Amino acid sequence: LAGPPSPPGQDPHGWRVPVDCVRANELCAGEPSCSSRYRTLRQCLAGRDRNTMLANKECQAALEVLQESPLYDCRCKRGMKKELQCLQIYWSIHLGLTEGEEFYEASPYEPVTSRLSDIFRLASIFSGMDPAANSKSNHCLDAAKACNLNDNCKRLRSGYISTCSKEISATEHCSRRKCHKALRQFFDRVPSEYTYRLLFCSCKDQACAERRRQTIVPSCSYEDKEKPNCLDLRNTCRTDHLCRSRLADFHTNCQASFQSLTSCPGDNYQACLGSYAGLIGFDMTPNYVDASTTSITISPWCSCKGSGNMEEECEKFLRDFTENPCLRNAIQAFGNGTDVNLSP
Amino acid sequence: AAFGLYFPRKEYSENVYIDQPAGTPLLRIHALRDSHGEVAHFHLCQNLIISRARSHENHWFQIREKTGLLYLSKSLDREDFNMLSVGNWMPLSKVMLYVFLSSHPFQEKECDSATRTTVFLSLINATAPVCSSLTARQLCFTEMDLSFHIKENKPPGTFHQLQLPSVHHLCQNLSISYKLLAAEGMPFRYNESTTGVSVTQRLDREERERYELIAKCTVREGFREMQVEVPFLVNVLDEDDSPPFLPNGTDTADAVVEFNRKEGTVLATLTVYDADTTPIYPLESSRKKYTGTIITDDPWISETFQVEHIFDEIHFSPNGSQVRGTRHEYKLVLNRSISVTDHRSFQLDVLVNDTEFHGPERSVMLHFNVSILPVSIQFPNMTYQFSVNRNAERFAQIGKICVENCMKFRGVNITYKLLSPNISCYPVSILQGREDKYGSLYVNDSSVLRRPECKEIQYTIQATDKQSRKHTKTLLTIVLEGTLLKKEEDCPDSCAVSKHHAECEECGGLGVLTGRCQWRQGSGKGITTNYSTCTPSIKTCPDGTCDVIESKDPAVCPQDCTSGNIIGGHGKGTGNLGIKSGHGICYCFPKKNCYCEKDDITEQLCDDVCKTVI
Repeated sequence: LAGPPSPPGQDPHGWRVPVDCVRANELCAGEPSCSSRYRTLRQCLAGRDRNTMLANKECQAALEVLQESPLYDCRCKRGMKKELQCLQIYWSIHLGLTEGEEFYEASPYEPVTSRLSDIFRLASIFSGMDPAANSKSNHCLDAAKACNLNDNCKRLRSGYISTCSKEISATEHCSRRKCHKALRQFFDRVPSEYTYRLLFCSCKDQACAERRRQTIVPSCSYEDKEKPNCLDLRNTCRTDHLCRSRLADFHTNCQASFQSLTSCPGDNYQACLGSYAGLIGFDMTPNYVDASTTSITISPWCSCKGSGNMEEECEKFLRDFTENPCLRNAIQAFGNGTDVNLSP
Repeated sequence: AAFGLYFPRKEYSENVYIDQPAGTPLLRIHALRDSHGEVAHFHLCQNLIISRARSHENHWFQIREKTGLLYLSKSLDREDFNMLSVGNWMPLSKVMLYVFLSSHPFQEKECDSATRTTVFLSLINATAPVCSSLTARQLCFTEMDLSFHIKENKPPGTFHQLQLPSVHHLCQNLSISYKLLAAEGMPFRYNESTTGVSVTQRLDREERERYELIAKCTVREGFREMQVEVPFLVNVLDEDDSPPFLPNGTDTADAVVEFNRKEGTVLATLTVYDADTTPIYPLESSRKKYTGTIITDDPWISETFQVEHIFDEIHFSPNGSQVRGTRHEYKLVLNRSISVTDHRSFQLDVLVNDTEFHGPERSVMLHFNVSILPVSIQFPNMTYQFSVNRNAERFAQIGKICVENCMKFRGVNITYKLLSPNISCYPVSILQGREDKYGSLYVNDSSVLRRPECKEIQYTIQATDKQSRKHTKTLLTIVLEGTLLKKEEDCPDSCAVSKHHAECEECGGLGVLTGRCQWRQGSGKGITTNYSTCTPSIKTCPDGTCDVIESKDPAVCPQDCTSGNIIGGHGKGTGNLGIKSGHGICYCFPKKNCYCEKDDITEQLCDDVCKTVI
């Protein structure tokens, strides 16, 4: 069915535009030298750490050859078909390249080029009103109403709410695994015009802020009996290709930067909010810690208690959620219906 | 230790501009020693790592092996820049270098030593700025926080240089001077001539684990003077240098096994403190570092008990400042269920060992006074007597049978059995209650109740402990009372079908005690656990649990047991069984749907017109 493999495209700047890793894998499979090296590398990586792997000449040679193949530059798209397979291919190469212990890892996802303003435009068409219009209204309630008027949003929202509030037994409050899965489906399959309005609505009173906090049914998807250590939680997250990728995406797009006006990389609010929403439904699920209307504090369900000598590193990791000016500005900008005006 | 030298920072950063000349110093890296006499050697890994892009061989950067000064050995031209940023999507190109440390001169140029620090170099796509265009902040400090870590109990040494080598090289006609504020009484010294900051004495984390100073920088250019202040933080890293100790000297606890004999039961807990921190990550290695072992050569004891170790972070305040420490808890846990006949008393010793502490007092002994008391399986000193109404229906709950203290039992399984009487009147049966603690008596054959010759029936009940096979017996008398009512016709099997007060109490149904269903009048406010409904017995249905008798037949109490659809405002019960809360009146068709709804059609009062018509 498919034609002969076409070379990766070129963008106007003459840079190679990365293909997705599933496609890159197909291209590699068509070339005997690439496919055999890739097989070698995967065997090298299985169950070994990077240093022992690189000590092996054959493994090193495989890695060097693959650096010239389309597999090397490949990326994945959020919510693409075969996303997990794509990420597995991505990490099979990149775990060999990076230390695997870096504080920040680069995102395996393609950069987000759309802007918040695109959402505002669409959102106002959907709701027939300016999101910033009525200062007295409860934006979070409006967002729920807007979702209920859309069949897809309504179906997936009630889907995750009923899954997450279903009591299993007297000791088991709910099935966290199923709840997370339903939340992932909601955020993957419902357009962000709806999901962002629910997640990032701006609030002037406590009832609204509590509704906002309750959006992801935190009693099931977020809270737990005990708070693990954040580094421990990060470790758990990194053993899972999807969670690892979403966390890397969050770090890439929400890492506070001194270089920009908004504190966000490339002043791109949309990218930061997208990667925040992408973490929901994984071990690193973030949420509002309280129903405060004046200050927004976000955190995953973890603390830095018991960090020993790693306390500094733990605090640094946690601060990217709790005290992150980029994330805070992005949420506030969304709530206010403002985006940065960028000259083209 | 084999590698005593260490870096006081995990990361360093600096900017690199296009066409900066070879020889330009970039930044200074320091190392701290583990013991006197060690000499630091620095070495650069010949690999440039670029996030999300291929790595390159390093042709541009070198480090002085003795001083730790990183400098440009070859200037980066525009072509180099383009090559290094291909495939890098970040708005800002950053390359990463690893610097390694050794106490010997480096033999092989390898990139694998445990002691390393990371240098981030931001490649700025422009020529080096002129000094007058830089702000005081840029002239004085890099973007990275001034945050360091120093190990406790190590010799003093210089760990940072405030002056930025790159700025000093670029802006030689500017006067930039530094000061370290809030340093009085603190073990740090600033050397004005080298701008180096050193730690002057061995630090003790258990005394203070964080020092917050301020680095102040003054830039003078002719008559202009600018000042910048930034925080200067030092964290003290912990090592295992404190022995375990007992709070209030308590090393003994009583552990009594009586009614609760189940595997997994926590009998007693003893606490051990340690001034050192214990990371909960990774958990298993910390558990191994701090062990708790039962000291015994009795196989019965080692099979029956185990020690569970948990720990968490607590705070000590040795001299006003708060430092972190650890509370270790050792719990004595039953490893298997203990038979009701066991009867023993002994002292169980647990040796707690802080394996990484190198001192004489690395361990403490904990003592548990264990008493295992036997439990007798016997009925209270009486015979049971229950009266049963002749109109009771099948599955009517008559009462509970319980050996002494049965509700306190855990891990003791008692089976209740009715030894059948010799007569033909045999209307009741017994079922095991939850967790095999008690037995529930219920009507099994209602036709027997109606037979006039059955009046008073004597049974023998036998209770047997499953594990020891010990058993006991008592007498049970069932007295049949009441007169037979005429059975209404067209009544459903289940009380739960009726949705009105009147029809409910007219009919009987499975599980009724006196021949008639009972009406529960709810509060009628919203969705409530106290909803209105028709039930065989208000005492048992709905009570939120689907008990063994109710679960025998779906018609007995669907309010507690239904797993089908519930239509209308409601909340489901645990395990998705039953109606926990409902709106208005809830009624059910067994094996089909339940409905919860407000009964809005209130019966019209008969007014004068109505009376006249009649």
